[in-house]
Amino acid sequence: MRLAPRSGFTPFAQRTRFPVIAIVVTFAVASSANVLLSIWSTSKSRNQATVVEVAARQRTLVERYVQQVLLVRGGSEADPGVTASLLRASVRALLDGGTVPAVEGDDDETAIAGETDARIRAQLLEQERLIVDLAAAGRAYLAGEPLSNLRLTGHERLSSRSDVFRLRTIAALTSNVSLDAARAIAAQTDANVSGSIDLQLALGLVGMVISVLLATALVATTRRQTAHFRSLVTASTDLVVVLAAGRCAYTSSSVEKLTGRSHRELEGRRLFEFVHPEDREALLGAESHEARQVVFRMRTAAGEWRYLEGRVTDLTGDRHVRGVVVNARDVTERVTLEQELTRQAQRDSFGSKLGEALEMADDERGTYDVVSRAMAEISTASPMELLLSDSSRAHLEQAAVNPEAGAPGCPVESPFSCFAVRRGSAIVFESSEALNACPKLRNREGGPCSAVCVPISFMGRSLGVLHATGPEGVVPHPEQVVQLSTLATQAGSRIGTVRAFERTQLQAQTDALTGLINRRTLEEELRRMMRDEIPFALALVDLDRFKLVNDTHGHEAGDRSLRTFAHVVRTMLREDDHIARWGGEEFLIALPHSDIEGAVDVMNRIRASLANVLQGGHVVFTASFGVTDSTRAESLQDLIRLADRGLYAAKAGGRDRVVVGGPIEDPTDVLYSER
Amino acid sequence: MVSVRERDFKISVSTTHVDAGEVVFRDRNLGPDAHELIVVRSDRAGLRLRADGMTVDEDGLEKLIVGALEPGSAGETRELRVLLVPGTYTLLCNMYGHYMGGMHSTLVVA
Repeated sequence: MRLAPRSGFTPFAQRTRFPVIAIVVTFAVASSANVLLSIWSTSKSRNQATVVEVAARQRTLVERYVQQVLLVRGGSEADPGVTASLLRASVRALLDGGTVPAVEGDDDETAIAGETDARIRAQLLEQERLIVDLAAAGRAYLAGEPLSNLRLTGHERLSSRSDVFRLRTIAALTSNVSLDAARAIAAQTDANVSGSIDLQLALGLVGMVISVLLATALVATTRRQTAHFRSLVTASTDLVVVLAAGRCAYTSSSVEKLTGRSHRELEGRRLFEFVHPEDREALLGAESHEARQVVFRMRTAAGEWRYLEGRVTDLTGDRHVRGVVVNARDVTERVTLEQELTRQAQRDSFGSKLGEALEMADDERGTYDVVSRAMAEISTASPMELLLSDSSRAHLEQAAVNPEAGAPGCPVESPFSCFAVRRGSAIVFESSEALNACPKLRNREGGPCSAVCVPISFMGRSLGVLHATGPEGVVPHPEQVVQLSTLATQAGSRIGTVRAFERTQLQAQTDALTGLINRRTLEEELRRMMRDEIPFALALVDLDRFKLVNDTHGHEAGDRSLRTFAHVVRTMLREDDHIARWGGEEFLIALPHSDIEGAVDVMNRIRASLANVLQGGHVVFTASFGVTDSTRAESLQDLIRLADRGLYAAKAGGRDRVVVGGPIEDPTDVLYSER
Repeated sequence: MVSVRERDFKISVSTTHVDAGEVVFRDRNLGPDAHELIVVRSDRAGLRLRADGMTVDEDGLEKLIVGALEPGSAGETRELRVLLVPGTYTLLCNMYGHYMGGMHSTLVVA
């Protein structure tokens, strides 16, 4: 099934615009209609009021006319004719509209609209006829003519009582009809006004109803939009925080998932309270820029730091928000991965740099120098040392020290008393005072400490230990431990390689007959050991009566004897011990890290082994040994002279024995060179 | 049923004689002005007028007035139901000047 984008979902559409416009238009139309209606009805009622006034005025004028007629008849001064024409003009104006003449001393001239209502018009027409009759009656009365001869137009029938009475009857009728018309006009005006009021009411009501309906639609639309946005914000895993004066004014619901803190806990509090102190400045800086991205740490309720990548937008000027908006998402995993990769790269670069440096070191001393410098690279604060076992594998000796922080000074003497070496893997001690801490960490000069011990090995054989210390209770950074391990592995590998190489080089310069190294090579090695202050023992060996063997059994047998001796010695020596063919039937044996007593012991065992090997053979021979050690003299020449003196003494003493060479000052001294 | 037509300023009655008993007057105002209808027993000739000389003195005639319709507008038709004993009756409109202007008519009940 293909998911087509839903066209109905348009939360950003301006759908609220229609109801708003409709409400405004409805209100405008209803209000202006009402206003127009009011203006119209007001002007109409003003006009009507004038009409009513004019209509009502007719009664007064009728009465005034009769009075004036009677006054004139009585000999007084009056002008009923003017009043009669006023009556006629007024009723004419009431009927057809036009100007109503002014009444002296009373009303001004006004203009009115004509009457349209048929019934009222009939009344006004009757009134007009009566006015004509009244005027005629008045004129006749003043002229002394009998009123009974009058041709009446207004349907009235007059009694025969008297002319005055006839006049008054017409006047009464005119007055009454005028009153009736005025009343009808007033009633009609009332009806008009109340009709207009009804219309205004109806208009207002309709406008209100429409507005309420539209407002309801508007509210519903707004509510729907708000719901859309709310669900968008709620569904989002992004964190939205609105800050007003630095305090959280709004937080989206994802804040709970992200930080384990509820809205209520955050709102009203400063966001900075939860931001890592190191990141606050960056966050502040981001605020001053337009929508800048920043990564900051925020503490969760559980106390751990989460990395958030945020965008800070200052919407203080936006009246819909009035605050600083922080949009952020959790990038902890990404940042952690990046950091891991960076560390990895650093480690790799450390490892590769170390590898290259070690490769350039062509002997053990050079290797130790590289190790020292690598230590300083790992830490300038942690004391470190490289302890290596000697050729006897019985002693651990300091081969390299951190040049920046010095040596921790582990008192361990033999590889087998080092726990890390025995264990064969790196070990970290948080505190020297802990029950399960290595005892050799206790009572150090610097007081309690933490420590890392990494055993060093080559081809499965232990070479020693790399040791570092730090402040007590502070676990070394895992990165440091990893770097120490790298150093231990690479240094071990290099030291092993260099040692093997050196041995190979020694072996390359060998005597063709015996397979032993030659005299010059051993001399070089001995000088190196003296320079490095490596103690050693020396034994100068000479096969007894070798000339006799040669003479009796031939050179073949002589050569075989030399090879046999070399083989016997080789099997009796340790790997780091040396034996060289010194010349003819003479051999020099060097035992590093050994002394006279050890050498005498080894030589006697060689002597015994030789006897054992030769037992029952054709050719039987013995050897004499002169022994000394590096403590007896300052120069190699003197040492060999001492050994030679021992050998001389052994020969002199009857051969097949081991004799320690006496002091050089001895008067019986016989120089080897002189032989 | 007696048909009465009023107009400015005349009252016409469909008959001049009716039998005694209940009589219904159907009064139609043909206008153009408003008119009332008063039925008054008038065996004696002439009705006494008020001081204005223009209207019949209704208070003085109170006992003789057998029925009346208040002023009605032009176009209206109304009925007046009265019980008439034998005698002479006058039908009149007593609005100001109407009686004197001719709005009266005589009916004989036998």
